[in-house]
Amino acid sequence: MSAVAGEGGARRGFSIGPFTPLFACLGLLVVWQIGAMLLATDSIPTALEALRAVPDVLGSRDGLVNILDSIRRMAIGLSAAVVVSIPLGLVMGRLRAVAAFFNPILMVIYPVPKAALMPIIMLWLGVGDLSKTLVIFLAVTLPIIYHAFEGAKAVEEKMIWSGMAMGMSRVEILARIVLPAALPEILAGCRTGLVLALITMVTSEMIARKSGTGNILFNALDMGQYDTVFAMIIVIGALGIVLDAAFDRLRRLLVAWAETRQDIPLSFT
Amino acid sequence: MRPLTMPRTMAEEVSRDAEIAAAPPMIAIEGVSQIFKTAGRREHVAISSINLSIADGAFVSILGPSGCGKSTLLYIVGGFVVPTAGSIKVRGKAVTGPGPDRGPVFQEFALFPWKTVLGNVIYGLRQQGVPRAEAEERGHRLLAMVGLKGFEAFYPKELSGGMKQRVAIARTLAYNPSVLLMDEPFGALDAHTRTRLQNDLLDIWERDRKTVLFVTHAVDEAVYLSDKVVVMSRSPGRIKQVIDIDLPRPRRRAELLLDPHYQKYIVDIERLIEDAPEEAVHP
Repeated sequence: MSAVAGEGGARRGFSIGPFTPLFACLGLLVVWQIGAMLLATDSIPTALEALRAVPDVLGSRDGLVNILDSIRRMAIGLSAAVVVSIPLGLVMGRLRAVAAFFNPILMVIYPVPKAALMPIIMLWLGVGDLSKTLVIFLAVTLPIIYHAFEGAKAVEEKMIWSGMAMGMSRVEILARIVLPAALPEILAGCRTGLVLALITMVTSEMIARKSGTGNILFNALDMGQYDTVFAMIIVIGALGIVLDAAFDRLRRLLVAWAETRQDIPLSFT
Repeated sequence: MRPLTMPRTMAEEVSRDAEIAAAPPMIAIEGVSQIFKTAGRREHVAISSINLSIADGAFVSILGPSGCGKSTLLYIVGGFVVPTAGSIKVRGKAVTGPGPDRGPVFQEFALFPWKTVLGNVIYGLRQQGVPRAEAEERGHRLLAMVGLKGFEAFYPKELSGGMKQRVAIARTLAYNPSVLLMDEPFGALDAHTRTRLQNDLLDIWERDRKTVLFVTHAVDEAVYLSDKVVVMSRSPGRIKQVIDIDLPRPRRRAELLLDPHYQKYIVDIERLIEDAPEEAVHP
């Protein structure tokens, strides 16, 4: 019955083992190493030099504090966005009037790069945590709203009727039927949100340098410490992969009941 | 009409009839019409001035070709769709929306895929505040009744169509509605599974004889299951004729198939449906 799910890889002609992503990363490092050795310029350290600098970044107190600052802002911005976006998206998906009101507003906001708002927000809220967290929040909100909206719209009418016949109120229908039924779609939105949060986290720190991964990166760049620059890029990349993989683990656990397996390619954005 | 199983005195007979006449019917459909606006802003009359009275404990089928509005009528009784005109009364009380006194079973099953089989069955009970232990005990009993003992921990995606519909029936029976509203419940199943579910539904129904409103387009299914078959015509959907099915209960399929009365009902109803000229379905 559920054995069918395990055969997804075979269709594509080759099987994807657990080490395939590892090989890809290794391949990338090899290409980098050879490329850097051939070019032999100061501004492009070899992969080995960059990797050697990673422990220095992670080992120093300053480095760790900056990275944890970044992660904290990202976590707060992302959580706030999830809390606000999911209910809004679900209500929009079930009430046409609410969707008609919010859709045009969101359509205008959607294509604006949220990091571009950073200078204005800094003007109002300063260069501290609040501005950066707010920008992350703004960047993540829209995709989650959109996915929750689409998910709620697609919920089978008869499923909702079944709940109504059990005597559920509209709020109970939303919380106990629409939310779980739309969960696979919502979590797909959250995954996009996670990647966007990471990108915005770095960008915001680049614009408002005070602390964080972006801060270390650009300070090192200013001082010509190119191995540190690339070490930081590796750290940010690794953070992205780890967070994404962890989230996907959680997602699969939560929606194992769903009819189809939703395979989202890693970092498709 | 119905053969008496026990001799009764005239007085008893009269008083019983008076009692039946005085009590309101389980379902009273009064002058119900439903008009949809189509995409081209034309009005499509789905059903037109339906009057129907259904007694407590009756098994009534609504039979008709696709597009005759039979499902719409069922949804209106369920309170899921508000009729353009007319009213529905259940036990004398006007229907204003869905409620646990009317339990639907849909062709699409509409199970909650994130819940296990048992979780689906007890969803309504938990909603009504029944403690978990009590709800689960009742759930186990219902699942045994519909023949799904041992499947409590399965998820809907792991079940066949017939099993899904058994779960859906148990889920609806769990909150003990007075009326079962069945919308072509076996329409998506293969012939063999359909036959088995029909038999099992009759067995379950014989236990407590709930009122059932059963929508179908299969003539043999309607005759086999029902006390009354309401034949509808298409465009607009109207009641063409109501036929009392006077076949003894409990019914056994093998006996019925050999029963000329059963065969005659089917032939008569098929003729009645064929009588209507085949009309183009309005888009």
